[in-house]
Amino acid sequence: MTTVATLALAIPLFGAAFSLIALRNLLAQRIVSIAASVGLVAVSGYLLFAVDADGAVAVAVGGWEAPFGIALVADRLAVLLLFTAAVALLAVLVYAVSQRSTDEELRGFHSVYQMLATGVALSLLTGDLFTLFVAFEIMLTASYVLLTYRAGGEQTRATISYVVIGLVASALLLTTIALIYAVAGTVNIADLTTRLDAVPAGLRSGLGWMLFLVFGIKAAIFPLFFWLPDSYPVAATPVTALFAGLLTKIGVYAIVRTQTLLFPSDGPVTFMLVIAGLTMVVGVLGAIAQKDIKRILSFHIVSQIGYMIMGLGFFTVAGVAAAIVFIVHQIIVKASLFLVGGLVETSEGTGAIDEVNGVAKRSPLIAALFLLAAFSLAGFPPLSGFVGKLALVQAGFLAERWVVVGVSLFASLLTLFSMSKIWSGVFWGEPAEAPKERPARGMTAATAALVLVTLIVALAGEPLVAYAERAASDLLEPGVYRTLVIGAAP
Amino acid sequence: MPLTLSIAAYFVVAALIGLAGTRLRHALIPLALAPFAAQLIVVATAASNPADFETISWLPSLGVELVIRVNDLTLVLTSVVATIGFLIVAYSARYFTDAPKRAKFLGLMVFFSGGMAGLVAADDLFALFLFWEVTTVASYLLIGFDDQKAAARAAAVQAVLVTSVGGLAMLGGFVLLSISAGTASISAIVAAPPEGTTATVALVLILLGAFTKSAQFPFHFWLPGAMAAPTPASAYLHSATMVKAGIVLLLLLAPGFASEPVWAVTVTTVGLITMTLGAVQAMRQHDLKLLLAHGTVSQLGFMVALIGAGLTGAALAVLVAHAAFKATLFLVVGIIDKKTGTRDIRHLSGIRWSSPVLAGVAATAAISMAGIPPVLGFVSKEAAFDAVIADGEWILLAVAGVASALTVAYTARFWWGAFEEQPGGVDVAHLGQIDRPLIAPPALLAVASIVFGILPGGLESAVIAATADKVKLVLWPGFKPALAVSAAAIAGGALIHLISHRTWTARTWWSRLIEPTRLPPAQNVYSGSVRLLNRTADAVTGIVQNGSLPVYLAVILTTIFSVTAVTWLVAGDATPDWRFTNGAPEVILAVIAIATAIATTRAKRRMAAALLLGAVGFAVAGIYIAFGAPDLALTQLLIETFTVALFAFVLSRLPRRFGAEPASLSRSVRLAVAGLAGAFVTMAALLATSVSPDRDVATFYAENAEPAGGRNIVNVILTDFRALDTLGEITVLAAAAIGIGALVATNRRRNRTEEAS
Repeated sequence: MTTVATLALAIPLFGAAFSLIALRNLLAQRIVSIAASVGLVAVSGYLLFAVDADGAVAVAVGGWEAPFGIALVADRLAVLLLFTAAVALLAVLVYAVSQRSTDEELRGFHSVYQMLATGVALSLLTGDLFTLFVAFEIMLTASYVLLTYRAGGEQTRATISYVVIGLVASALLLTTIALIYAVAGTVNIADLTTRLDAVPAGLRSGLGWMLFLVFGIKAAIFPLFFWLPDSYPVAATPVTALFAGLLTKIGVYAIVRTQTLLFPSDGPVTFMLVIAGLTMVVGVLGAIAQKDIKRILSFHIVSQIGYMIMGLGFFTVAGVAAAIVFIVHQIIVKASLFLVGGLVETSEGTGAIDEVNGVAKRSPLIAALFLLAAFSLAGFPPLSGFVGKLALVQAGFLAERWVVVGVSLFASLLTLFSMSKIWSGVFWGEPAEAPKERPARGMTAATAALVLVTLIVALAGEPLVAYAERAASDLLEPGVYRTLVIGAAP
Repeated sequence: MPLTLSIAAYFVVAALIGLAGTRLRHALIPLALAPFAAQLIVVATAASNPADFETISWLPSLGVELVIRVNDLTLVLTSVVATIGFLIVAYSARYFTDAPKRAKFLGLMVFFSGGMAGLVAADDLFALFLFWEVTTVASYLLIGFDDQKAAARAAAVQAVLVTSVGGLAMLGGFVLLSISAGTASISAIVAAPPEGTTATVALVLILLGAFTKSAQFPFHFWLPGAMAAPTPASAYLHSATMVKAGIVLLLLLAPGFASEPVWAVTVTTVGLITMTLGAVQAMRQHDLKLLLAHGTVSQLGFMVALIGAGLTGAALAVLVAHAAFKATLFLVVGIIDKKTGTRDIRHLSGIRWSSPVLAGVAATAAISMAGIPPVLGFVSKEAAFDAVIADGEWILLAVAGVASALTVAYTARFWWGAFEEQPGGVDVAHLGQIDRPLIAPPALLAVASIVFGILPGGLESAVIAATADKVKLVLWPGFKPALAVSAAAIAGGALIHLISHRTWTARTWWSRLIEPTRLPPAQNVYSGSVRLLNRTADAVTGIVQNGSLPVYLAVILTTIFSVTAVTWLVAGDATPDWRFTNGAPEVILAVIAIATAIATTRAKRRMAAALLLGAVGFAVAGIYIAFGAPDLALTQLLIETFTVALFAFVLSRLPRRFGAEPASLSRSVRLAVAGLAGAFVTMAALLATSVSPDRDVATFYAENAEPAGGRNIVNVILTDFRALDTLGEITVLAAAAIGIGALVATNRRRNRTEEAS
């Protein structure tokens, strides 16, 4: 199984390399890129089951044992998110290829796309804090490139914002990791679980908050998210969908991974819950103030991040499990919603809710896809958002954190409000004379497939919740992780 | 599990209609009717052997099972829902003449019915919530059915938001209740109701859900707005079924919680207020649908008040009677609206003579609504009065009596307004032929009202079995106090009507009397809240999202540094290592680095800034040398040299001097943020070096570099120990190269197009 775990990294990397070699050959590029994405789905799907059945695996890269070399760790949390990410990556890629963005494809889109996939896979699989930094760099640099494909005019400004914030976040992350290395003498996460015990408690928890907030820039928590709604909506649809579905969630993953293993808490962490509540409310208020589909959705990304941080903040198995379920749900649903938004933009020429009308009459399928994804986002049963919300509310009440749970329910009312604004504005009413352009079949098919996945996530809620609970209890028992990577604690 | 399958059938059919739409042609109507018929058959066969559970496991880890309860209550409610649903679907098949609209409507109707069928049968709190939300969504889409009308869209949003406020509170309540009871099974919870604060809070939250759904004060205002829905939808959702969802929930929970003080007081009070308010409001409506809608609010209040008093049997009887007569009346109004194009009682005149059949159907339902014998409405109301008197609920009796008189009055208003000849009314005497499929469903319901009114025995035993409550459903109760209340109500209602009728177009004493309730404050609260919400959203977003990169950066840096620093300072458990220096070279290099860094920020020319930045880098490289890392220093020197050279190339294309300073942040704020950053990093470095951890990793690298094949430790780390990181960084470079290539290509093309144009 160690080979398979390595493959999850090698496949997208080779995909990137080969599509770069085939830069002038569109067909070859597409074949390579789609094959790599399918391969990643297959490999991560296998790992999903194998890890659950036979236990997590650790790979000592280059044969240098941890903590001296770099460890790759495929545990339940990593492979669950890897599989989810792989599915989203594949669907978005099919959408992008169907969109006939030939121009961008001939300028290296596929290669960069696979690099981004590599960064995602490496972020999830690495058991090393510094390699996590490198993985973020790959992911972010790829994202800068994807964003600049549309550079020019208004976009350039947004892109510059995004890149500058990204670089500052990277510098801060590097500083934090350096400080952790200075006090613990290692960057191997498993090794850190015990070595940080020797660090004075206050110093350690300060470093914990610093790491939390630095990852929080990428995860877009309050008050560090301001860059996101400015930059995401300007990119091409597949790019925005990918960013929305994956990038912030990888940030949340990094927070979950490091906070549980390195900075564990005996009970609910009030500071995190406050941040979570503010993120939910300020994010959704931002959504209410917008008048464009993609901008509304971008603010929702932020708001929903709050739910995940809330689950983590409870610091119970139920809470962390609920956060994991919520991440899985969000990766799929957020990507779906942006793809639907892209379909509307393609067919109507704009996503401004005051200018578009009657899409439900013209394209019932697009309307149905939006409705399913939107009600899922608002947490209506039996859709995937409900599973996540119910798990979170239960965990919150069990942890007796009434206020933040109340805030989360209130935020989901506001989510419904702003979703109904899109529905009333864009989908209801009389359509304009003629559609601008019919979205290509592949675009609609890819979107539909992803929406179908959200339904499967809901129906397969039980296995998912149970899996997430097992993953969460692994995380809250750092000894498990340490033993796997290094061996039992001395 | 026949009942479960029969519920699932609705969703399958709804999906089929949704996918196939008008392509179903003649199969559409039979297909839409099928699940209702199937369910009625299932109910008929299940009736011989009730009290059974059908379970589908969904989320056992979260304590969620889809449990369907097959008992007498389920069967009574399911029969009502499926029968009326069947008739209304048959009616809508003719009501909608436009084929796509018909298909869309029937799809939504069947989808809604699935939710309703599940709701009345669910025995698991979360299963109930699932079906509850299905009805919310369906209602939203049905109220907004005529989506080109702004009023319909607004009413749809209002309904979904108001019911969702309750729905979310209820979800919270359900979770709390299931935690404190240890189960989500309604029958288990009711059998052993949990006690304590948690359970009480849960109960209040759940009541909130029931009240919003069943349009109880102060949430009643969404229901009249919902009349924007097509009339068949109003007949089914907003009178016969969905608005009863809250009543059903109360009926389910009553056996366990009726003795809770918070329950009895809240439920009864809210019911009484709603009952009176709805009836008063109905008296001032001119639109027949709105009149009926306010009447529904009032009747729902009556049921709620009865349940609050513990009289569940009477409440269920009133529910059944109300479903029958109100659906009938809505369907009648639908016909009138369709034939005449208006529902305004100031315009309608003389329909009684033009269509005696329609008038007969309406009259039957109307006397049932007014509680006049010999129909079901009278029988159930008598039973309710009887139970109230037997229980000694005098306040309830008084309010219900007054509300009943008002009910008689608004029924009369309905009748005179819709059917009798009126002075000044536009004569619409020629109604024309009414299709049988349109008149048959309300006619059948009217007949049912009569049959159950004359022979209430079967219903009585069903209600008693369903609620385990004593209730007497008889046509002739004998000369008892209850009869006197009914008689007084009818007489009072007639009196009010005599005084107020014929004057309803003018401003009379009556309209002045109810003027204070003209604009229901609750409606204002809703629109006020929405306005406030929008304003708050704009204000908050305006503050946090001002689009200025310097502001974003300042917030990010300040947040991270101050949170971390405060944690450290408060804990104070690490003592900084205050050793100032290891020797003179360090001091000199540090001074150079600091001086050049400050100079960089003050440089006016771009080239000067680039050179000064390079100087900072060189000083840092010097510090590396001082700490014995010449290889690192070499790398640093190369990079700095290269960067400065690159800058020189790029800067040749830019203005020589920096532009104006960014206005979004004042100089002093920027200085403060930069100062904080500098102070923080210094503090962090001092604290970090105060801890001396085990350096075995570093030692390992030093010892194993040679065996691994190199003398330069840095090189061996990069190419062997941590080669994966290097591979990653190479990927970063590749991505950056592609990005630059793409940018250059874009630029070139832009230049070309500019030249061409």
